[in-house]
Amino acid sequence: MIKRNSESRSAPPQGPSLISDYRLLPGVPDEMLDPSGALRPGWDRLMSAFDALGSTELAARFERADQYLRDAGVFYRKYDGAEGKERAWPLAHIPLLIDEAEWQTISKGLVQRAELMENIVADIYGDNRLVQEGLLPPELVAQNNEFLRPLVGVKPASGHFLHFCAFELGRGPDGAWWVLGDRMQAPSGAGFALENRVATTRALSDVYGEMNIQRLAGFFRDFRDHLFVQAKRDGGRVGILTPGQLNETYFEHAYIARYLGLMLLEGEDLVVEDGQVMVRTVAGLKPVSVLWRRMDASFVDPLELRYDSRIGTPGMVEAVRSGSISMINALGTGILETRALAAFMPRLCKHLLGTGLELPEIATWWCGQAAEREYVLDNFDDLMIGPAFATTLPFDDLRGTALGASMTAGQKAQLKDRIATHGRDYVGQEPVRLSTAPVYADGKLEPRPITLRVFAARTEHGWSIMPGGFARVGSTPDTTALAMQRGGQAADVWVVSSAPVEQVSLLPQEGDRLVRNSPGSLPSRAADNLVWLGRYAERCEATVRILRAYNARLAELSKPDLPILTRCAEFLESIDVDATEAMPQGLLMSIDSAVHSAGQIRDRFSPDGWLALNDLQKTAQRFATRIATGDDATRAMTVLLRKLAGFSGLVHENMYRFAGWRFLEIGRRLERAIQIARITGWLTDEDAPDGSLEMLLEIGDSVMSHRRRYSVTAGTQSAIDLLVLDPLNPRSVLFQLTELLTQLETLPGGIRDGQLSSVAKAALQLQTRLITAEPQTMTPEKLDEISSEIGLLASLIAAHYFT
Amino acid sequence: MLYDVRLTLTYDYDAPVHGGRHHIRVAPTTVPGVQRVIASSLSFSPKPHRLTSFVDFFGNTVSDVTFVEPHEKLEVRLTARVQVDDLGQPADLSASLDQLGLEVARYWSVEADSPQHFLAASPRVQIVPDITEYAENETAGAETVLAKAMALCLAIHKDFEYDPKATDVETKPAEAFNLKKGVCQDFAHVMIAGLRGMGIPAGYVSGFLRTIPPAGQARLEGADAMHAWVRVWCGTHTGWVEFDPTNAMIAGGDHISIGHGRDYADISPIVGVLRTHGSHETRQSVDVIKVE
Repeated sequence: MIKRNSESRSAPPQGPSLISDYRLLPGVPDEMLDPSGALRPGWDRLMSAFDALGSTELAARFERADQYLRDAGVFYRKYDGAEGKERAWPLAHIPLLIDEAEWQTISKGLVQRAELMENIVADIYGDNRLVQEGLLPPELVAQNNEFLRPLVGVKPASGHFLHFCAFELGRGPDGAWWVLGDRMQAPSGAGFALENRVATTRALSDVYGEMNIQRLAGFFRDFRDHLFVQAKRDGGRVGILTPGQLNETYFEHAYIARYLGLMLLEGEDLVVEDGQVMVRTVAGLKPVSVLWRRMDASFVDPLELRYDSRIGTPGMVEAVRSGSISMINALGTGILETRALAAFMPRLCKHLLGTGLELPEIATWWCGQAAEREYVLDNFDDLMIGPAFATTLPFDDLRGTALGASMTAGQKAQLKDRIATHGRDYVGQEPVRLSTAPVYADGKLEPRPITLRVFAARTEHGWSIMPGGFARVGSTPDTTALAMQRGGQAADVWVVSSAPVEQVSLLPQEGDRLVRNSPGSLPSRAADNLVWLGRYAERCEATVRILRAYNARLAELSKPDLPILTRCAEFLESIDVDATEAMPQGLLMSIDSAVHSAGQIRDRFSPDGWLALNDLQKTAQRFATRIATGDDATRAMTVLLRKLAGFSGLVHENMYRFAGWRFLEIGRRLERAIQIARITGWLTDEDAPDGSLEMLLEIGDSVMSHRRRYSVTAGTQSAIDLLVLDPLNPRSVLFQLTELLTQLETLPGGIRDGQLSSVAKAALQLQTRLITAEPQTMTPEKLDEISSEIGLLASLIAAHYFT
Repeated sequence: MLYDVRLTLTYDYDAPVHGGRHHIRVAPTTVPGVQRVIASSLSFSPKPHRLTSFVDFFGNTVSDVTFVEPHEKLEVRLTARVQVDDLGQPADLSASLDQLGLEVARYWSVEADSPQHFLAASPRVQIVPDITEYAENETAGAETVLAKAMALCLAIHKDFEYDPKATDVETKPAEAFNLKKGVCQDFAHVMIAGLRGMGIPAGYVSGFLRTIPPAGQARLEGADAMHAWVRVWCGTHTGWVEFDPTNAMIAGGDHISIGHGRDYADISPIVGVLRTHGSHETRQSVDVIKVE
């Protein structure tokens, strides 16, 4: 480690130290200050670094972290109404520091807990001795929606039910860490932990570099290796199974898929054939052997689980039964999240592991038992009362869980009656209080309650605990755990070592064999979306160009009934665009469609491209409220054109030339060919009004080339030659077809045994016709026919690659 | 009694279906001591690409069929010969409601036949306070669980009108209860909801009913279609007893069982996932003929 010059470190702070204003809450332990008011290990360095930076620089640094999150497009979706809105990730800028020794205690406790959970779930879906021996009430299993009967007796292919778990921890008033809840179904947050880390170190790279903070990458590397070792055994692919882009944490699914090099898959990407899960790719069906499941189990198979699931894959349970797929975690593990189970954990631990729980958990009384029910009724005011079968954490359960004392007399009486007759549906839990940690607000530090989210992954060397990464920070100073219901922020967690830490990267290390993932695994659905993204983006561009030409003339001539303007407006109408609107709805819809298509494939192109597209959408929406037709609209369209070019540039210049890029390119070429062929027909027929040719060349962005190539003989024929038949003009129809053919030949199965695929042949036929055609034969009818045939080609491509 | 059972399920699709996958539960099952399947055969048109079978959690045999060729019509045909013994009305040695509660609480098992699975709401049967109240009123005079179940079975038969047009396969128990109309599936669901509301474990049985009435007796309703009734756990001593609220009787020699579950969802004749955009029309024809 490089020791920094102590001289420069102790430079006089600008103003009083940040911690001089920090006031502890009475009786509440704090993560930064010990009970005597002294800084805990690590915090001293962080605070002196903050003081040395000064408040202006510190604020600028924190802004840098926020800027990073905005640029990276980190979001989660929050459902408070019918429609979920994307929200920026709420980073609390100050990391939470935890000493290595303390972290070891936590890790050890969680490894034990993960092992215990594995034992419990194996018994529930196996021999059921826990119920038979009276250690686990049968109601908690048999009357539990998370008990998935089709999985009873099914042993997981990997030999284990649990591979990736998360735990929510809080520090109680006595200073010890408590387990507040377990996430065993499909825990989220690991990707956000990574983003917390990247953003926080963006702001505090120097401090981070100097302190010995344990890295997160090794945890992910080991877990990825674990996934691939299982897949290698079966020879199939590894994917993340996501419910899709409307899920709260879809960003994270796409992010982890990109980070770990896994396929991002939805239910409809998959098909089960003879008990084997296959992914539909552009190169046909390919086997999948490991699915990291981010979808609740009951949705994965409409045949055997929830019949109304529209996001599942029929036959998935059969594949699990046949042992051909490893589910991470196994279907059915959600039962471990049942809140009432907490009441039995100490006993189960003793029974199964022969020892006590290393980390205590919230004291829980299940009202399905007489003595416990009496206790809850007698101590009603002092307990959190909630549903026994809930799988949400008490402080995420805004509607279902409340402190007895906080209820009205009427509510209390009603609930007590209900508990007396339907005890098995309720639990009482000790209302945990949490510790505080500092947040930075208005240039000051203030204490806020925190909980830790800690991740555990199964690796080839047993359970591994992610060293830090994720804490939740309350929005008010109220330290009762339930107050976390009111939302808050997320903070990075730094585990501070006394010795230098190992630097880890997910990039291959020296000595690792370089493995290139082979192309051809592009899921059909992703390819379909890429084609549509290319088409919509191109359609937007064509529309914007025409609208610009239209509005420029309108501004100049201010006679909307001029024949050329009428002709132009009619064409726009044929593509559902109303020229009398300054920012037509039809254009806004094309933009929305492009954003929607892009949203389905966030893992496939860069965050910059996504941001550029969103920026385009926002700009267009803003224009819609304030611009008028004519001059105003002309300028607006120029702005949109520039933004579109920015998007195309970002995508086309930065996207790796895998199959994915080819489909995007195919979409773009198809749409451009169709649009150019059509508009050329509209503006070159016999009774085309005055000014049609100029307008056509302007729309085709070919004014300059036209002047240069046909200075003497300019006319309808030359315009058609340039826009339809010219092999070198990147806007001509022929040029698009040539590019299309190149892509189709290069795609999987494009040329087999020297034979072109049927789609490539169709493209070749069209191309040949244009190569040999003369401009005078390109009548409007002929051009119309060509544009329909290109449309047919699009359908052929879809049928060939996407079904 | 020996029966020949013939069933044809026909699905006519508006638009050709491009493949599909179905789980089918229509074949009678052997229930030791009660019902014995002598022969059973299931066939399909078109011919499935793949046909396998497995036994589900509740012990029902499931045929798993996959179709890959486009088709506009699907036919499922069953023929079976089944021997059924009528055990007669059991002597009522069943528990009181309080006693039953204790026996359930002491039933430390989650095996398929455990009453624990049949107490809470299930996919198609919600616990509805109105139905619970109705069940409590109608069974107030009965001392034992068996008597209570019989009282509720008779009450539903008396108060509900058999009307195939009033409900469909998706109708919820609360809707059928408000209408006081429906078919065997609705009556069974309402009865299950009422029993569970009172703390009595109850499940759903799918099966067939003999077609030809005994001489001088009325034809039994629901006999020309698949049938459904209710099984009730009457305590450790008596165990499971089956009641048919559609016909106000204990299920016996006329009832041929396919299988059972918590409600219709666990034992529906056909569950399927189709690749299609259109809707479909379903027909079923059932013949149950007494051989001897």
